[in-house]
Amino acid sequence: MSHPVKLVVTDDLQRTRASVFFRIVLAIPHFIWLTVWGIAVFFVVIANGLITLFKGRSPDAVHQFLSEYARYYVHVQAYLYLIADRYPGFSGHLGYPIDVRFAASAPQNRWTVFFRLVLAIPALVVIAVLVNGYNQAGSLLGTVAVLGWFSSLVCARMPRGMRDAGAYALSYQAQLLAYLFVLTDRYPNSDPLAALDDLPARDDDPIRLQVDDDLRRSRLTTFFRLLLAVPHLIWLTLWGIVALLAAIVAWFAALFTTQVPDGLHRFLAGYLRYQTHVTAYLFLIANPFPGFSGEAGSYPVELVVGPREAHNRWSVFFRGLLALPVLLIAGAYGTLLVAVAVLGWFAALVRGEMPLGLRNAGALAIRYSEQVNAYVLFVTPRYPYSGPTAAPQPSSEPTPFLPPDPSTAVTAGA
Amino acid sequence: MSDEPRRARDGSGRRRPLVAVALAAGALLWALAARALWQSTVPGGLRLPHADPRATFSADFLGRSASYERFLAIDALLGTIVLVAVLVIYARRGQRLMKESAAGPIGTGMLLGMLGLGIVWLAELPFDLAALWWERRHDVVHVGYVKHVLDGFLGLSGPFVAISFALLIAMWLARKLRSWWWVAAAPFFVALALLLSFVAPYLLTVDSEPLDKHSGSAQTAADARALARAEGVPDTPVYVDLVQDQPNAGAAGFGPTRRVIVRDSLLSGFDRREVRVVLAHEFGHLRHRHTLKAVGWLALFLLPAAGVVALATRRRGGLARPEAVPVALLAFVAFGIATQPLLAATTRRLETEADWTALQTTRDPAGARALFRDLGTATLTDPDPPAWRSLLGDHPTLMRRIELTRAWEARAGGPGAG
Repeated sequence: MSHPVKLVVTDDLQRTRASVFFRIVLAIPHFIWLTVWGIAVFFVVIANGLITLFKGRSPDAVHQFLSEYARYYVHVQAYLYLIADRYPGFSGHLGYPIDVRFAASAPQNRWTVFFRLVLAIPALVVIAVLVNGYNQAGSLLGTVAVLGWFSSLVCARMPRGMRDAGAYALSYQAQLLAYLFVLTDRYPNSDPLAALDDLPARDDDPIRLQVDDDLRRSRLTTFFRLLLAVPHLIWLTLWGIVALLAAIVAWFAALFTTQVPDGLHRFLAGYLRYQTHVTAYLFLIANPFPGFSGEAGSYPVELVVGPREAHNRWSVFFRGLLALPVLLIAGAYGTLLVAVAVLGWFAALVRGEMPLGLRNAGALAIRYSEQVNAYVLFVTPRYPYSGPTAAPQPSSEPTPFLPPDPSTAVTAGA
Repeated sequence: MSDEPRRARDGSGRRRPLVAVALAAGALLWALAARALWQSTVPGGLRLPHADPRATFSADFLGRSASYERFLAIDALLGTIVLVAVLVIYARRGQRLMKESAAGPIGTGMLLGMLGLGIVWLAELPFDLAALWWERRHDVVHVGYVKHVLDGFLGLSGPFVAISFALLIAMWLARKLRSWWWVAAAPFFVALALLLSFVAPYLLTVDSEPLDKHSGSAQTAADARALARAEGVPDTPVYVDLVQDQPNAGAAGFGPTRRVIVRDSLLSGFDRREVRVVLAHEFGHLRHRHTLKAVGWLALFLLPAAGVVALATRRRGGLARPEAVPVALLAFVAFGIATQPLLAATTRRLETEADWTALQTTRDPAGARALFRDLGTATLTDPDPPAWRSLLGDHPTLMRRIELTRAWEARAGGPGAG
């Protein structure tokens, strides 16, 4: 069942340089209007909560008023963070390139209305990582905005991956606002695959993530997960030291021959696969205890590493500099992964199952981090793609884990 | 059908006498090693004069300490019963957890080993908290419940790594050597214990500072230097532990890593003569290489323990198979519980030797008696517990230690000798 709050993206990625350069100044009138309107919204939200508590649903007029404010809030956010380019209107009406559709007012569970603020705490943790952060630059949205600002100034275009990553954050923001405003009792969905329509498939990416996880989590291993991962973390550190030395050799090889030797490529690919297994285990994106060899096809969250490719010498020489932006985004995704693990830990302990949205958000973070690592370690010359990618919903019908079969495994784009 | 034809085919019948001879030779070597380790500088046949606890401790204290320790002993006993019960259940059902692993046999064995420890920790937690409640109630420790539980949880990381490493070695050897893996595994573990003993001082002094730099301890530092010289372990560094609140001290390491660690609460709560006895006692441990002796005893314990584990896991296909790991845990812990009185006797022997050395060095039996009295009062230790509890203690009881000072006095020529 689709979420009653849906982000609609019609943005064409084009950006006007002058508007981008002055973006924060141009947004000032919207900040003022947002604040003034927000004061009224504060009291209306309280009234809406009380009414919904007694009547079981939000009155239509109130629902529309609050929906328009939430939509306007998302418009302004999208404009400010360069997820859209057009100057937004002040009414919160439909028609903006990053828009939000709200389903009509529907009956709500009174218990969830009464405990709404408490129930919203996990979602507030996620939104802190996606949108707010400790400081704006630390959040996913803030990071893509800063990097997108430079990119838009140079290319007059926002990279698709960054735009989609930001849109994913805004989708969650819209759903959280609707939940806090008591417009719906549907909990915000952190699943990046469900956040946006028309995600690119990117089947030709040399570094992809295969997710065959069935969402089931053993409560016992979940409880001790951090400690159970310690032997793997020790082994990963030792392997990582050798991998770093191997990457230095690969740098020279790629610089002089444009190719990384096949043996070296396979060694580094094995390291990345093992790192993926351990990360997925530690952060509860998968359930079984991984092996220590990084063997391909041995784990339900698997990194598919393509064959070696020719590198561009300039790109190899400046790899450290070129990697800086993606390392920043990887840092933001890393914070998301930690939040997913902490929330997932509680969820898995209670339900014996990882929520699909959290799992897929974590899988997205892992995929991106591994693409960055593969780029930094010269396993691939391809620049990491920062947005979510399309994939079949892998685990809507839980199935027991079997060793992945390359012929049947799906590619989860998260 | 008789087993004779099979035995004849695989040669096990012919090997049996050889195995018996090898085991007998091993047992003889074991006994000789134990005899060598049992040697002590405490005079043989020393008779300890009986000392009445009421002469040293007040009746009120004796009553309170007996009641205090009785609760802790019952709590520990119940905890041990639950520990064994949990491990029995785990040995029967633990193999079901194999489905939580995508690793190979050894990796899966490591998982089962770690989970076994985790389950034991969970099962023991109520008893652990009950003991903490009791100790806090008697003002013996002051650590909070949440900190205690969190420290305990995070502290599992060390045992998790240790059991993983141990199983990695044991299971790998079991895959190579089959049923005789334990003969080769024991030396591995002893080498590991030796290594840990060597590096442990660095870990133990993380939250410590050198005695020389500790505020107001110049006199104590000078005493420590003189005592270390007198006991033949000059230049042994002494550190002050600033974290632990119960007064205590310890010696760790050997060779270049040897050092003594004294808790700040001991320096601040005890007078100079008492601290000198403590320091002399710890230097005594180092002088007689008790760290190495302890590893020696561990080796003598580990060899039969590994043999017992090998025997116990045969029905599950041997330790090479991960499903045998829960049984191995049970066998190892059961062996440990059964041999605890023996191991405790060996450590009591080392402690007695360190006490004797301290008396020889300080020639201050009155100071030693004051130390034991004040130590008992500060930690609410029952000075004269029932015999069964004494047998499980890793130190002699306070009354035996006080009696040792009297025996030393008698040999040295009356009270205040020296």
